[in-house]
Amino acid sequence: MKYLVLILCFFNINFMISQDLLLEAESFDDTGGWVVDPQFIEQMGSSYLLAHGMGEPVKNAKTEVNFKKDGKYKVWVRTKNWVPGEWEAPGKFQIKVNDVLLENTLGLRSGWGWEYAGAIQIKNKKNVLELVDLTGFNGRCDAIYFTTSDNEPPSSLKKLTAWRKTVVMEPLAPEVTKKYDLVVVGGGIAGCAAAIAAAEQGLQVALIHDRPVLGGNASSEIRVHTLGIYGNFERILKKLDTEHYPNGSPEAHKDQIKRDNNVKSYNNISLFLNWRAYDAKAVENRISYVDARQTATGERIRFNAPLFVDSTGDGWIGFWAGAEFSYGRESVDEYGEEWKEHGELWSPKQPDNAVMGSSVLWRSYEVEQKVDFPKVPWAMPVAKDYAKVKGEWQWEFSRNDLNQIDDAEEIRDHMLRAIYGSFANAKKQPENANRKLEWVSYLVGKRESRRLVGDYIFTLNDAKTGRTFPDGVVEETREVDVHYQTVLEDEKNPDFISEALFYKTPKYYIPYRSLYSKNISNLFMAGRNFSTSHVGLGGPRVMRTTGQMGAAVGFAASLCKKYEVDPRDIYTGYLDEYMELIEKQKYTPIPDSKK
Amino acid sequence: MKLIVVNILICGLGFLSTQKLVMNYNGDGQDRGITKKPEYYAMEWQDGLALNNKATPFYIEVEAMGNQNVDMLVTDLQRPVLYTADICTPVCADGECRLMYLTLYWNLLGAYVGFDKVEGQALTKHDHVEFVEQDYEKLHQLLLDDNSILKRRKIDELVSKPKEPQLDGVDAIAGATIAEVKESVVDGALYSCYVAWNIANGPIKAELQKYTASMFDEELKNYMLMSREVDYQMYALNSLRESEYMEHKDRIAQIFRESIPLVRTYIVQNLPKLFWETDSLQIPFWASFAEVDINNRSLLLNHIQKAPVEVLVSLAGNLELMTKNQLKLYLSAIENTVKTNPDINAQLLRFAESGNHTYAYIVTEFLEDLE
Repeated sequence: MKYLVLILCFFNINFMISQDLLLEAESFDDTGGWVVDPQFIEQMGSSYLLAHGMGEPVKNAKTEVNFKKDGKYKVWVRTKNWVPGEWEAPGKFQIKVNDVLLENTLGLRSGWGWEYAGAIQIKNKKNVLELVDLTGFNGRCDAIYFTTSDNEPPSSLKKLTAWRKTVVMEPLAPEVTKKYDLVVVGGGIAGCAAAIAAAEQGLQVALIHDRPVLGGNASSEIRVHTLGIYGNFERILKKLDTEHYPNGSPEAHKDQIKRDNNVKSYNNISLFLNWRAYDAKAVENRISYVDARQTATGERIRFNAPLFVDSTGDGWIGFWAGAEFSYGRESVDEYGEEWKEHGELWSPKQPDNAVMGSSVLWRSYEVEQKVDFPKVPWAMPVAKDYAKVKGEWQWEFSRNDLNQIDDAEEIRDHMLRAIYGSFANAKKQPENANRKLEWVSYLVGKRESRRLVGDYIFTLNDAKTGRTFPDGVVEETREVDVHYQTVLEDEKNPDFISEALFYKTPKYYIPYRSLYSKNISNLFMAGRNFSTSHVGLGGPRVMRTTGQMGAAVGFAASLCKKYEVDPRDIYTGYLDEYMELIEKQKYTPIPDSKK
Repeated sequence: MKLIVVNILICGLGFLSTQKLVMNYNGDGQDRGITKKPEYYAMEWQDGLALNNKATPFYIEVEAMGNQNVDMLVTDLQRPVLYTADICTPVCADGECRLMYLTLYWNLLGAYVGFDKVEGQALTKHDHVEFVEQDYEKLHQLLLDDNSILKRRKIDELVSKPKEPQLDGVDAIAGATIAEVKESVVDGALYSCYVAWNIANGPIKAELQKYTASMFDEELKNYMLMSREVDYQMYALNSLRESEYMEHKDRIAQIFRESIPLVRTYIVQNLPKLFWETDSLQIPFWASFAEVDINNRSLLLNHIQKAPVEVLVSLAGNLELMTKNQLKLYLSAIENTVKTNPDINAQLLRFAESGNHTYAYIVTEFLEDLE
């Protein structure tokens, strides 16, 4: 329905000049085999449709388009060639209007921008538009623009953003506002746990998540199993966690159903699936609202609340609100986190912007007959001669010129090249003649990005010494496990394979003070974006631990509501009551229905 | 000082920690030595090198077998080169024990670097079949991996059967998989591999490194700095005072060009400020731009604002090597130079118009914005 609004808005303004229509690809009536990819909105401007067919062209995406005026329209498509070079572009596609293929093949240009698809004579009001994938290798379409003028829409992101606003005529603020006691942004394990804990204490909670399913890295879309202990929150976390199946296993679907059903069973959790937050406004260091957009339709809602939880993983809410954050590795002396045995790999003498990388998991399976896999010359500069039939956690990519947030699309694409290239190499081996790709994630499974700064910064030393805290609400026994890229030790290694360094620790604790922002007074954080050093993150970044963080802030939020105070006040004024509430969770029986 | 290795560790009780007792070694090392490269060896060996045993205060105690001395191997001029020990240890599995003989070698930082077989004492597998050449080589590779999965698993965890369902017939344990263990150990000789790894990479490592540190002098520092062993390079670099960077500037630039990314990173991150303030000192590092890895190119580019014009010109010939963000960094640095420098301008045009470079469009947009 979105494009109708666009037409009306546009025609009001430009009727006399030309006939134009902007159609966002993600709002197609039927996306066919294309998937909506909202991961890189902040970098390239919008959700887009991705032809993720693992080498087999996907089913056409289809939508009805209403034109007000007949005429000859030029058709522009915002797209990009995701691996430009001396080979055929991997992600090619075409546009079909009313069963007529437009002349130009698309997906050929370097960098996001507009490509000319061809011209079409529109004779009827109702028209059918299709995206025709030609390769199955991740062609991408952000938007389609029909115009009777000769002007090409602007490609540079700055100009495009301004142009889009002009065309769409979208008011600055969302027209719908909703109010809650607590707004949780990010429906990974931490966000879900926060929502449940707060909801159980009677709060009205909004849980905003940009995917159709909950769980983030643990979801059936990314498929990392949950690790760590339950701490005080076994009852809640058992509703959300996974079995210890291999990373990438289809068994993730079973846990997905459990998780989604459990969260949906709370009447006072308003679940906003496929909604992605895009702004947060703080006045005098206090967040007034978070704005979010439906990833396909583009509808917007403003969320008001006295309290917010940033469980976005990337710390977006904190970032937009102006919260202090850190990124990269501290110097070894900053917090005294040396591990002599592993020297610079563990903690460098000088601070730098290196972080643990992102994974894209995948797997293949045996079929009864021989099956071919296309040639993928565009993948070989990354895969080289590496040959594999599945990818576990070691399939991880980080490089110091790439920011895990700003360059996430390039990181994901690098991993796709690694996967397709390695599988193509494996397919050359006779024993893999019947191997077929079963599943390749297109979502980046991040380990580390922004870390919001709280009143306390958790470090390796807290884990090493098993330091106890009066507000120790999260507990863990899992070793601190920091990854590095093996290419740092030997340039012959693939640059997408990592190694883990395990530091054994006693049981350790994370204080509540690491779970709310130092300078944004009503912001909690839970998940990998909690207040920690780079090395400190090595242990508690796994998902039962981050789930404990979520539950802990959910309960804190309930006391904030009860006494109308901010997160810090719970530590300074209500700690006994808070810790009693946390302690009590240990003994709250698990209802049979949730076992 | 003694280091205890007990054979019961393979029954799942694990290592006893290093215990420092009395320094009571009265070794007979001086009569022995080696004149040829160990059969399995990861370091360079200089032709004609002859090394003599020299006693150290260390021994490895193997339960039921007594003390096994650790010697230093030194040149005729008494320069330390390696550490070595003749190991005889029981390997027990399923109630049956046999002896394993190996001569192990460690470098001066205590890292395992190689072994020799003991004559007449071939290693055997569980079924008494003798190791073949590939098995010895695999054992060597395993011992070289100081971060092996054997480090963090007890023996019983390595042999336990997977509880998880077998998905499409492959080993399907998550994280540290049984398959991963199989890949790295000699087939049928898990127990021998486990015992050997824990001796070679056990507490002795830290003790030997400490011992070397206690005798670390200028000569040893220079030896390590000049070495092609990356561990030695890193150790020597770590010991340099700021003033010494100047003294060794040529060698440091050479290491930067030739070593592994990790060592290069240490160099570029720790070069004294003076290097980036002095054209002649920084140019040798920029000269390696095309030869070093992507991460180190990024670290060099962090200093581009202080680079002399000749570096900017030379980098213009290497635009195809730059990643997107590196290119952006470079372009922002030449914004003011490009109009007055025809060489850079010509290189930008060449790159933008070549038609087959991934990021040519970035240069095209940059040139358009300049107009």
